[in-house]
Amino acid sequence: MHWIYIGVYHGMVVRSGMARSEAVERIAQLLDSSDAETTNTSMRLPRALRDAAALAVQELGAAASTTTLTSAALRGVLEAILMQAVLDEHYAQHPRARPSLGELAVAAAELDGHPLASRPELLHQSAAEIVRTHPDADADDVLLWAEARATTPA
Amino acid sequence: MSALVLLDNEAVQSLGDPAHPKHRQVLSHIAVVAQRKRLAVQVSLAVPTAVRVEAGWDRTDPQWAFANHLRITDEPLNESQANTAAGVRRHSGVSVADAHLGAVIQASTSSKVTVLTSDPEDVRAVAGSRIVNIVPI
Repeated sequence: MHWIYIGVYHGMVVRSGMARSEAVERIAQLLDSSDAETTNTSMRLPRALRDAAALAVQELGAAASTTTLTSAALRGVLEAILMQAVLDEHYAQHPRARPSLGELAVAAAELDGHPLASRPELLHQSAAEIVRTHPDADADDVLLWAEARATTPA
Repeated sequence: MSALVLLDNEAVQSLGDPAHPKHRQVLSHIAVVAQRKRLAVQVSLAVPTAVRVEAGWDRTDPQWAFANHLRITDEPLNESQANTAAGVRRHSGVSVADAHLGAVIQASTSSKVTVLTSDPEDVRAVAGSRIVNIVPI
């Protein structure tokens, strides 16, 4: 019985892992595809969201069409999901490649050209502090926290 | 407002080798870009093709599969950019790859251009009058 359990568990993990890798590969291929053919979709959008998108296109010039606006937004999110999945897979294979929250905060500050980019020690310290009360904090949370610390008189 | 993040030769090389001393540092920037994209911030990653050549990044080589999946697009050396790059190289004496990097910086329509580089001086030299956020690695 115990053996069966282990076998089933192992099978599920392996099968699940392979499916994930294949999905990542396929998503990447689809995002890279130059196929511009459109399709009618049965995807249901909240009416208010659809109307807001139409107004943004017509009155604010947000995009050439609501289709363009929706596609661009969806592409951005899918790219982000794909990148995170690829990074997570890489970290699983190479645990030492995973940046710490402090390192991510430094990177965020550098990408923003933020003045705190020149104070990495403060960002690392802020990262260590913030995770004590907010374990899911991200790099931007650390930046805000560090900014508050830097402007608060001692 | 859109942002473009460009990679130089060493940034690319570090991506291709998990044992590279700057691998984790460059990944931290890629991870932040992924996080920002998730929040619908318009930010993209790109590499000038001449930089890719210099770094040895062959997209058909399985060794580069990881980098291939990070949504880093190619900035090709087209006719217009080749002309700009030739001028940059003549004036600055930089490598062909850096000259191409300069041409991409100068031609970019993004409101903000950032370069991950191990050679900030060269990036300053090739950027021309364009304001560029230089991130030393």
